[in-house]
Amino acid sequence: MLKRISQMSLRLRTLLFFLLLSACIPLILGPALYFAYGHIQTHNDPADSLLLFGLAAGVGLLLCVVAIGALFDVNVASPIQGLIRDIQTILHSNRNHSVDVETGRYLDHLPETVRALARQYRIQRSAVDKTIANATQETAKQKNTLETILKDLYEGVIICNLNNQILLYNQKALSLLHVSGDIGLGRSLFSVIDQPPLLHSLRRLRNRLAEERHHNHPEGLGTSFVCATVDGRYTLEARMSLVLDLEENIPTSYILTFEDVTTELSALGKRDHLLREATEGLRQPIANLRAAAEMIANSSHMDDHMRKQFQAVMLTESLKLSEKINNLAEDYHGLATTHWPMADIYSANLLSLVSLRVADEKNIEAVMTGVPCWLRGDSHSLLLALDEILHRIHDVTHAPSFDLQTVNREGRVHIDIIWDGPPLSSSEVDSWQDVRLKESIGGMSLRDILEHHRCEMWSEEVDQKRSRLRLPMQPAHRPQADKTSETLPARPEFYDFSLLSQPNRIRPEIGDCPLSELTFVVFDTETTGLKPTHGDEIIAIAGVRIFNGRILTGESFARLVNPGRSIPKSSIRFHGITDDMVKDKPPAQIVLPQFDNFAKEAILVAHNAAFDMKFLKLKEEECGLKFDHPVLDTLLLSVFLHDHTNEHSLNDIAKRFGIEIEGRHTAIGDALVTAGIFKRMIPMLKARGIVTLNDAIQASHKIVEVRAQQADF
Amino acid sequence: MTKSVLVVDDEPNIVLSLEFLMTQAGYEVRIARDGNEALEAVVEKTPDLILLDLMIPGRDGYDVCQTLRRSEEWASIPIIMLTAKGREVEKEKGLALGANDYVTKPFSTSELTARVKELLGDT
Repeated sequence: MLKRISQMSLRLRTLLFFLLLSACIPLILGPALYFAYGHIQTHNDPADSLLLFGLAAGVGLLLCVVAIGALFDVNVASPIQGLIRDIQTILHSNRNHSVDVETGRYLDHLPETVRALARQYRIQRSAVDKTIANATQETAKQKNTLETILKDLYEGVIICNLNNQILLYNQKALSLLHVSGDIGLGRSLFSVIDQPPLLHSLRRLRNRLAEERHHNHPEGLGTSFVCATVDGRYTLEARMSLVLDLEENIPTSYILTFEDVTTELSALGKRDHLLREATEGLRQPIANLRAAAEMIANSSHMDDHMRKQFQAVMLTESLKLSEKINNLAEDYHGLATTHWPMADIYSANLLSLVSLRVADEKNIEAVMTGVPCWLRGDSHSLLLALDEILHRIHDVTHAPSFDLQTVNREGRVHIDIIWDGPPLSSSEVDSWQDVRLKESIGGMSLRDILEHHRCEMWSEEVDQKRSRLRLPMQPAHRPQADKTSETLPARPEFYDFSLLSQPNRIRPEIGDCPLSELTFVVFDTETTGLKPTHGDEIIAIAGVRIFNGRILTGESFARLVNPGRSIPKSSIRFHGITDDMVKDKPPAQIVLPQFDNFAKEAILVAHNAAFDMKFLKLKEEECGLKFDHPVLDTLLLSVFLHDHTNEHSLNDIAKRFGIEIEGRHTAIGDALVTAGIFKRMIPMLKARGIVTLNDAIQASHKIVEVRAQQADF
Repeated sequence: MTKSVLVVDDEPNIVLSLEFLMTQAGYEVRIARDGNEALEAVVEKTPDLILLDLMIPGRDGYDVCQTLRRSEEWASIPIIMLTAKGREVEKEKGLALGANDYVTKPFSTSELTARVKELLGDT
């Protein structure tokens, strides 16, 4: 029966309740009236009987209505209420909430329909969510790309709405403007950039748009102008572009890109000032001089007194002129910038390009030597110039190979091209200057390029055998030395001197060779710490070869090593090498044999060599190697050469020798500095009677003994 | 014996003064107006000192200086370079090519005389 009811339609079922209700009235009222009639007959008090049975019927009816109401509530109203709650849950909090079908079984198909609807809703929402997620991800990706571009952009970029509130700015904008005022999203642009020129440009662009002139305007909706920061500290060359809405007719915001032109403008200003001084400023003294000279020359009758007065005028005016012209020349030469764009260049990069280029074109061997340094120049035109010069020298001298090196001396960086043979004549070198170089911009000549770099070139002897062509260049704007080098303490001297005494291993014929003729590998290691026997490991090793007294910069060895352990944070500030940097690098067992191969047949040189040798020695067995090369220590040699001082750290010696330090505390940087030092030491040792390798080793041993004794005390 | 000074310059107005100045200082003065003339003058009679302008026609001053320095006979003649080029690199080039001294125009005549005397050991 119940099953049958649950299969009925909802309307029929609701009708059933009301039928039940209607049926109750006659079923209760009928018997009540019947019994009331009988009661009146017997008792003869109609009012009393009617009251009694009326009450009974009323109570019966009430009970029926309550019972049916309860039935209605349980089976209809309450399940509907439940469904409403379910729907609300699905809509607002949990899309996966399931609809209870059982409690609503008398509600016809309502629960199932709601359930189906919920499922549909779920599917649709998931699809929408996925689309949104994808779109968001895509936007994020584009945003990242945009941020990267903006960050790397040389220009500062700011986007503002038409109320001049900043909507976006990049790193460069921040770094340029933060000193002048507060730059921040939502802030007014005028808290950092001076208002009038900016507003003027904005007005011009909006007028151009309103009058629809922008369609034919060469700059479209953009314009360039010069403005300044609010504090007047920086002058900016800026460009403003109006951004329109999607329909392309209402401006919504503007983009401002800018560069700091303060130094350029001030250099231009100085140049202008110089030019004015050189023209107008010289008029007066020249007028004085000329008038006096003409007076003396043209007046036949002039008394001695007058003549002396004119002569005095000529003397003082010409002295004034001399002084003025000297000042002008000094100011002119002191102008930091030329009109040609320059950058800081690392000589090793430039010279390796030159050497590749000449090898490709004409099979000229150009070997990089010496300690590289930074110089200021235009890399491409210098490359062309050096290439041309090398070819010219080769054509004249037929020298098959050249050394290329840079020397940092007295505030200038010399680029030297060295060959075996006599120097070139000045007229020869001059005759190359006016030929136009094929690949240069606008067909520049060698003279043009040298002039941009304020450079002269000439050829001179290096020694009896070799000559060089020298090009003095401006040093780089960046400091030549690495900033970190000043603050970090040097490694403590390492006192395991036995590591250096390997005299038996030296082949006797090598021992008697002069130092100037031997091949050396000057090397340095970076390590996780100072205790090789307590688990510290090599994390970088680098070496550079010295051959025939030349540092062969092009033949260097530099590798990072995976130490198989974590790198202590405290050591990272010394070498800057992190776990991340070495995780993909080969271990010592791979790298050390490569280094051994690089250093084969060479004498090893290092600063505080015992320290590095100890690390190498401990790895011998693992790597199946024997580091039994003769070893020289620049620290010991320095003690031998400069016994008047206690300053023998790499920094101190480099400073003493005037060697500029680049990339200090990297293995290759330190190896190069050590090589520069060692090269300088060879002639100094010779002057002290230390000529051969054996001499140098014996001298070192004496120092070792003295130091060991000192260490004992 | 009177020491001789060779003045090499193509600007007659300065030659006039230099000639007068050196004669006043007690030297015998000869004049050359370009690089080749200068070398011929040296071959003809070795001077004790050369005042050499850099910007002369033909072989320039650098060239003359280098040529003399590379010869055997004249490698040690003291040379003072006179020049209107005043940059440090040019001075460095001049000294690298063998000049003993480098004087930028305009110069003080008394100072020039002093430098000449110093190089000739006449102080």
